[in-house]
Amino acid sequence: MILMQTKAIFIDAYRELNAKKLFWLTMVINLLAVFIFASIGINEKGFSALFWTFDGQFNTSMMSAETFYKLQFLLWGVPYWLSWGTTILALISTAGIIPDLVSGGTIEPMLSKPIGRGRLFLTKYLTGLFFVGAQILVFTIGCFLVLLLRAGSTEFGLFLTIPIVLAFFSFLFSVCVFVGIVTRSTITALLLTILFWLMLFILNVGDSIMINQRERALMKAESMPAMVEQQERFAQTKIDRWIDEGKPVPGMDGEPLPAGAEDSLEAVSTALMIAREEAEDAEKGVKTWTAWAARVYGAKLLLPKTQETIGLLSRHLIEDEELDGLINLMNDNNENSQNGPNSELNQRVAAVYEARTMKWILGTSFAFEAFLLGLSTIIFIRRDF
Amino acid sequence: MEAVIDVAGVDKMYRRKVHALRGVDLQVGAGEIFGLLGPNGAGKSTLVKVLLTVIKPTKCSGSLLGKKIGDKSALANVGYLPEHHNFPKYLTSRQVLRHFGAMSGVDRQTRNKRADELLEIVNMSNWANHKLGSYSKGMRQRVGIAQALMNDPKLVILDEPTDGVDPIGRKDIRDILKRLKSEGRTVFLNSHLLSELEMVCDRVAIMVHGLMRQQGTIQELTEDGSGFIIRANAPLSPSTISAFQSSCPTIESAVNSDGIEIKFQTSDADKVQPAIDALRSNGVVIESLGARRPSLEDLFIQAVSEEPGGARPGAQSESPTTSKGAHS
Repeated sequence: MILMQTKAIFIDAYRELNAKKLFWLTMVINLLAVFIFASIGINEKGFSALFWTFDGQFNTSMMSAETFYKLQFLLWGVPYWLSWGTTILALISTAGIIPDLVSGGTIEPMLSKPIGRGRLFLTKYLTGLFFVGAQILVFTIGCFLVLLLRAGSTEFGLFLTIPIVLAFFSFLFSVCVFVGIVTRSTITALLLTILFWLMLFILNVGDSIMINQRERALMKAESMPAMVEQQERFAQTKIDRWIDEGKPVPGMDGEPLPAGAEDSLEAVSTALMIAREEAEDAEKGVKTWTAWAARVYGAKLLLPKTQETIGLLSRHLIEDEELDGLINLMNDNNENSQNGPNSELNQRVAAVYEARTMKWILGTSFAFEAFLLGLSTIIFIRRDF
Repeated sequence: MEAVIDVAGVDKMYRRKVHALRGVDLQVGAGEIFGLLGPNGAGKSTLVKVLLTVIKPTKCSGSLLGKKIGDKSALANVGYLPEHHNFPKYLTSRQVLRHFGAMSGVDRQTRNKRADELLEIVNMSNWANHKLGSYSKGMRQRVGIAQALMNDPKLVILDEPTDGVDPIGRKDIRDILKRLKSEGRTVFLNSHLLSELEMVCDRVAIMVHGLMRQQGTIQELTEDGSGFIIRANAPLSPSTISAFQSSCPTIESAVNSDGIEIKFQTSDADKVQPAIDALRSNGVVIESLGARRPSLEDLFIQAVSEEPGGARPGAQSESPTTSKGAHS
């Protein structure tokens, strides 16, 4: 009976989405995205779009077609289309699942059937994930075929997109379901979920800023002792020379120190004084930014890691060396600049993100989802309709 | 008689404010058509929802189809039509029936066959492939009744089944109810349409303000108020009427306007004979003589009017009221 009921709920969910035209509309948009993905390419002459080729340096001598498509998938397909486009469409499609279920006149016949409330609720939740999973599957298969047909590459790693993007969506969907069961309103569920998503985005931006600032401050603080030491050496040499020349040295033999100088070294070297002040400021900066980064990290700890979850795809879809090569290629002109991808700062920031393990990212995110989903289920089980 | 529904002390308090059910006792026997009536806000739908696990009672003991109230497995043998149902408008009636059949655990082959049979019974075969969004209220009600029968239930609970249905449709529904009874199913009707209940129910209960006021067969409930009525054309003087009333203690009332109407509060015909003789000896021409029995409406209005504040919908007093005349 369990299988029969589950199947009936899934079929009903499909019919509902189908009636709203959302399922097929989303599917068509997904296929359109795949078509756009397939319509662009790279050949020995240059960049191609549909039937046209734009001759130029950007051709297969610069990168292989396979690399080109992987790059497009990672740079555009995942962060923009799957993370934003598909998720927004999926939220619009599925936001009404729980509010519709608990609406008056609909819930009574369902609850009067021999199915437990918890199972009914969780099955409804799964229908939402299932249809979003189907959309991601179509997109991924499309992209896989594009890679196969246009670049001759069989990149099975592409299918990692399905669980990763589905996990990403499920974090947001748990919020949508929670708001839906509490307010019974589709539009409120949708708006508050988007607001929550925006909050996560801001938090992620904040996290990135804090990590950058902290690492920058750390780098400065780490470089300051050497600079101070160098300035101290210069000052000591100067003092030694003055002593040899019989000149009076401030702070020695009863000579007064000039205002602001702490010792003879600072008295003879303004640069040392500045370097020491900067070193002190750098230490303070490290403390400040470390504290702020810890606060943001603490806030993130309790919330789903949307950005990092999507980032897992980049980690696992292609090898590190290949990824580095692609990034270098993309940022060739910036390679030697301070903010280039290979700058020490960027490497340190990247290392911080790399240190966030998959277990931590998914574990804490799924814990959040499980908590919210559990709470929603308890509300559904205990509520009178 | 085996009890299909047997509950005692059903109590429901919403958020410590609204006392919807106040210790309701109810027994419904197998194979009968039982009618629950009461004004709006009496707690009828709440009671039904408690039986069907849609609402959790504050207190309740008893069983449904031999299983403890709250046991979901009992619901496999129950069909239910909610009062304000809202079946998916994107489904056809055939799809609605098959969907709810599957939710009740009916196998595919059976539910396909049964859906068509039931659509035939509720006269909706021609609309089987049309979406519910295009149906009238009466048509949706017919589909709702068919839906309640998809799992071949032993107990059918119908909450206001004739709501929005035209007179022909109502007759069709009454026929369906009789058919269900002849098939040995128990039918629990929830309605405020007294005439409908009177026509089909074996037993009824009157519920007011969360309390079961009266419960029994219509015969039992109306027996107390039954008697005879005589109508005559000649007016009598007030003194004659007064003397007449004092000589005949079973006379309930004697109205004297254009003619006279005398009501006897007895079902014993022998006790009426002296009054007839007295009238005739006074030269009164008797125009009609017949038995009278209060209607369900009379009982209903009486039960409601006994409540403090009368039948105000949803007006639930916190102070407990007595269950005068309640019996099972």
